[in-house]
Amino acid sequence: MTCSALKMLSWCGAMAGLIAGGLVAPTSPAGAAGVLKVAMTAGDLPVTTGNPDQGFEGFRFVGWNLYDALINWDLSKSDTASDIKPGLATEWHIDPANHKRWIFTLRQGVKWHDGCDFSADDVIWNFQRISDPKAPQFFTQQFALSRAYLTNFDSIEKIDDHSVAITTKFVESLFPYDMSYVLMISRCRAQALNYDWTAYANQPSGTGPYRFAGMTAHERMELVPNNDYWDKARVPKQDRLVLLPTPEAATRTAALLSGQVNFIEAPAPDAIPVLKRANMQIVSNVYPHNWPYILNFTRGPFTDLRVRQAANYAINRDDVVDLVGGMATPQYAEVPPSLPYYGHPVIYKFDKAKARALLKEANCLPCKVTLAISTSGSGQMQSLPMNELVKQQLEDAGFEVTLNVMDWNALLDVSRSGVPKYPNVDGMNASRGLLDPVSAIIKPVATAYWSPAGSNWGHFGTPEADGLVKQIFEEFEPEKRLALLTRLHEYESEQALMIFVVHDLNPRALSPKVHGFVQAQNWFQDLTPITVDP
Amino acid sequence: MNERVVVAPGAIPADSEIADNEVDLAPAIKVRGYWQSVLHRLRYDWMTIGFGLVVLAIVIAAIAAPLIAPFDPYQQSIVGRLKPFGWRGHPWGTDELGRDMMSRLIYGGRISLLMGLAPVLIATVVGGMLGVIGGFAGRVANTAIMRTMDVFYAFPSILLAVAISGAMGGGMINGIISLSLVFTPAMCRVAETATAQVKNLDYIEAARASGASTLTIIRHHVLGNVLGPVFIYASSLVSVSILLASGLSFLGLGVQPPEPDWGLMLSTLRQSLYVDPLGCALPGIAIFVTSICFNLVSDGVRGAMDVRG
Repeated sequence: MTCSALKMLSWCGAMAGLIAGGLVAPTSPAGAAGVLKVAMTAGDLPVTTGNPDQGFEGFRFVGWNLYDALINWDLSKSDTASDIKPGLATEWHIDPANHKRWIFTLRQGVKWHDGCDFSADDVIWNFQRISDPKAPQFFTQQFALSRAYLTNFDSIEKIDDHSVAITTKFVESLFPYDMSYVLMISRCRAQALNYDWTAYANQPSGTGPYRFAGMTAHERMELVPNNDYWDKARVPKQDRLVLLPTPEAATRTAALLSGQVNFIEAPAPDAIPVLKRANMQIVSNVYPHNWPYILNFTRGPFTDLRVRQAANYAINRDDVVDLVGGMATPQYAEVPPSLPYYGHPVIYKFDKAKARALLKEANCLPCKVTLAISTSGSGQMQSLPMNELVKQQLEDAGFEVTLNVMDWNALLDVSRSGVPKYPNVDGMNASRGLLDPVSAIIKPVATAYWSPAGSNWGHFGTPEADGLVKQIFEEFEPEKRLALLTRLHEYESEQALMIFVVHDLNPRALSPKVHGFVQAQNWFQDLTPITVDP
Repeated sequence: MNERVVVAPGAIPADSEIADNEVDLAPAIKVRGYWQSVLHRLRYDWMTIGFGLVVLAIVIAAIAAPLIAPFDPYQQSIVGRLKPFGWRGHPWGTDELGRDMMSRLIYGGRISLLMGLAPVLIATVVGGMLGVIGGFAGRVANTAIMRTMDVFYAFPSILLAVAISGAMGGGMINGIISLSLVFTPAMCRVAETATAQVKNLDYIEAARASGASTLTIIRHHVLGNVLGPVFIYASSLVSVSILLASGLSFLGLGVQPPEPDWGLMLSTLRQSLYVDPLGCALPGIAIFVTSICFNLVSDGVRGAMDVRG
């Protein structure tokens, strides 16, 4: 052996010893053991200026972590459907003398992340910011992102430092649900920055359980616990929360397997066995989500009830569930059976012969329809293969389907603009959030919510539906209201309001080092109880 | 030693001292035409011939797809999803909806070839015409045409294709239109340059002096010179077109499902990368083989056509 070879060998041995001793081993930043790193499905970081974009995922990871609404969601349980709970308002009730006036009692002792005190003036200021174009703090971006929840908002007034009253345009007993989607930002910080919203986006201030710690545009956002959070049970248990937009399912899977992240949203169903073999935790739960085709009621074949029923009978939902690796449940009605107003809807079991007979009776055989679909998107599941399968199933029953494929943002435009702008689209495949009864079953049928102002995309409207909605809105007795909601849900099923396909089970994959996550039956999730092993 | 000398006919100077009986005249050399020379060169270019045969096989398979595909490319089977090579008579397995991979790849060749050839053909005709007009007319017409084309040059080709397809919406026709628009400026530039190089040559002047019309001059004297470079450039674009078309389909902006397009297949199969990596790679291999074969054949033809240089 030559001298240089001996030197090399001894150098390698010394290095091996140092590495074994941990002297030159790759080091982690201080406290990295408690860092929760999440790969989101979003294509970009959600905005931080109040209500986030990027769909409900924006609310899930940024909105609810930085901010609170007057009313929050209870995300602490996985075995029951989650409902609203007090947030920045400790209590709310209808004015007995005026059923359009809601009185909210505000929480005292709450501080913004910037140290200012939360008060009634902040609430007034926030509502003006998203509804009053003459107010200096009016921000068009936030107006657009909040508009859908302000359909019935008319005005707001300060009663005293710790209570406000909100007046609605029409009587609506379910109005508090809308208030759970309006997040409150710090007036103090916005004024200190002279309403420079770009600057605010880089130093946002809320009252939520996390404080903003930094952001690299389009790449990552970091949040740290707000140890002064008013709800002591929800002070985050990790050191830091890192959010990474990772729209590709395969990339998210690879990131988890390689240890780049320790929490991923929506792994590809086909990759779940691989993740299980790598000892990853797969968690899933029913939640108020559906993956239907929303139909056009102004023109085309779906104006005929028999055609809508035929389409529902044509769907072999078990095959769709198989396609997504069992990470879905068959959808036979608008909402999943776990919701209290499910009732006894018509069950459109797969029956190809019946579907064909209905099409023949409707004199629509072959029945040509154009369906708008997206290549991917928040809640869209495995969009392309699922749509291809449904197309085949519909065609087997006598439909002739043209899929109009577009990207997610283009489909969102179709969704927001509605049939007035897209009259030639017979149906649209857009997953729906069904968190509250108004979003789930009232908005899709009430004429007051016709697109583009509301989310009744296809302009469904019948006197029966409007009558039931009116009764629901004017009923303040919960039990009686529940009966009316159940009847409305059953009515929508009888009307074959949509082509019902599946409810997602919302799978997530977690590193074995992650503990304490409780997957609520909700689009929103609480990350605060999570701990991460070193 | 009295050696006999072999020389070419006419190569003996008049004042040569070589006696006639000491010279054997070589047989007359047969002068080949241009295209004969090109073919002659290609005949001995085994690499080009080899890759050309692969292209030919892909073309024949695409044309004869209904005869040679073992299954209906659209027939789904949920129980037969993502099955491996050789499963129940599926030589290359099945895709995420249980459709036969081999059949879809064979049918996919039709779309990929169409998406590779149609935009190039359209761009050759449109861009070539504009280039010849710009190059021959000169002055204002040239400035108007070429500066307009320069605007398109400001954008990378893939970005331009995505932007145009995104604005017009997905679909095969829109994909062909967007790719045609992407290739037209480059084709126009080649035709304009070739035209400008010959338009002031003597034989053009002579034709003009003899009273030939502009159209006649272009048809008989200009096009012949322009076609060579345009053809060479066009042949090199086919592989680029196949790649860009696959990219558009991958992004959901090209061919629409359930058509068996290679780019689209790659897009939908990527979710199954951890289950069936080889199956997921097949459309990518098809795109790679086809585009590289077109590219190498184009390269060989370009080399063979470079006779004058």
